[in-house]
Amino acid sequence: MGTSADNVFIRGSHPVMQKILSISKRVAPTDSTVLLMGESGTGKELLARFIHRESRREPNPFIAVNCGAIPPDLLEAEVFGHEKGAFTGAVNSRMGLFQLANGGTIFLDEIGEMLPALQVKLLRVLQEREIRPVGAERTVHIDVRVIAATNRDLATEVEKGRFREDLFYRLQVIPIVVPPLRERRSDIPALVTHFLEKHNQQRPSQPAQVSPDAMVHLWEYDWPGNVRELENLIERMVILSEDGVIDVDALPANVRSFISDKKIPRPQLTEEGINLNQAVEEFEHRLIDEALRRTKGNKQAAARLLGLKRTTLVAKLRRKETQSGAPEGLVY
Amino acid sequence: MTMSKGRILIVDDDPHAVEILTRMLEREGYACRSALRGAEGLRILREDPVDVILLDVMMPEMDGLQVCEQLRADAELSQIPVMLLTARDDMDTRSQGMMLGVSEFLTKPINKRELFTRIESQLHAQEISRQLSRTDAAVPDPAKAD
Repeated sequence: MGTSADNVFIRGSHPVMQKILSISKRVAPTDSTVLLMGESGTGKELLARFIHRESRREPNPFIAVNCGAIPPDLLEAEVFGHEKGAFTGAVNSRMGLFQLANGGTIFLDEIGEMLPALQVKLLRVLQEREIRPVGAERTVHIDVRVIAATNRDLATEVEKGRFREDLFYRLQVIPIVVPPLRERRSDIPALVTHFLEKHNQQRPSQPAQVSPDAMVHLWEYDWPGNVRELENLIERMVILSEDGVIDVDALPANVRSFISDKKIPRPQLTEEGINLNQAVEEFEHRLIDEALRRTKGNKQAAARLLGLKRTTLVAKLRRKETQSGAPEGLVY
Repeated sequence: MTMSKGRILIVDDDPHAVEILTRMLEREGYACRSALRGAEGLRILREDPVDVILLDVMMPEMDGLQVCEQLRADAELSQIPVMLLTARDDMDTRSQGMMLGVSEFLTKPINKRELFTRIESQLHAQEISRQLSRTDAAVPDPAKAD
């Protein structure tokens, strides 16, 4: 991690990525707090490492903390350190990650998972530039740049009272939103080429290549796990490919069938909940659309594909037409 | 005048498809313009750019891919996301579109929900871009930074 080659992860010719890289370069030499927002796998940590490398703090440590992965009751001692006897099991005093990062950068990932009690303490660190280890009498001055990241919508977390508003504003001095890969598909071919080169180092005598048709499938897939999912897949295919040609049939079923399946996206159960009846109805509508598409509008054949009687399909279509206001929801 | 959710240009030689798409999108709150030929679409764009272009592939005189080439060569227009609408969902067209920097493909007949999802996704990327411009303006001058 952290080599210049990894910059490709966050680089890209898409205008949004160029903007992100330009902002990151400009913000690196300042000590401003940065808040990185974006879905999981979009490369937020690599961007944080890039900002660190481009800053005067580069010779000093870059410490990454996943606030969501450390049990909440241990997080405070882990981040701020503790004195001997501060709690059961604290047989020695121990430096926290902020102290270990002194002179450098601390990357607080999944900041939205931090409990309110600790949020107050983090706010003080940002304001006063000092920490108080658990059980300590005195505070310790620290010189650390904070880069935080979240895949949650922190503004909504603030509205719901789960995240402190004052900390939110303190963190988002420089907010940078990293888009999901499906919103910058034009970068996919370059990313694929880069990951091929990287992982082909494991098979120098017969480097693997992606066929043009397979590339189209990779381009069209929605990549819910973003760049990380893309890299993992390329790595796996490079290792598994026997003759070095990665063609469509070598792709996993979900990627291979995506071009036809994307007509029937998987429903998402959000925190706000969904209307099940409506979701089931939409699912039904999409399958009907797909069946009609495949049978070029032949209702008899479409009904057979769906295991329905023609009359049942016609009744469903009539109902659907009344609801959607457009003939069968499709444009011919 | 109420604010639209986004400005869309539809370029398709089939007036019936244009009419249905326009009605569908306007009902959803988008402001639409349309052209029945590629050259006309380019002229409209040069006068008044839009947020998203819905572009049919199979058109007489100048096909969708040729329109894409012209867009790509124009610095002003090259950044507008293009969604290619095509009945020709063959790999060749997709591959060529991919090389020309198309943002999405939609296979005809188009599913309404899918169309809206893909447009929203392109508008979302543009919203991110606007947010980044605001961030860019907020980056302190390193010489004066703390």
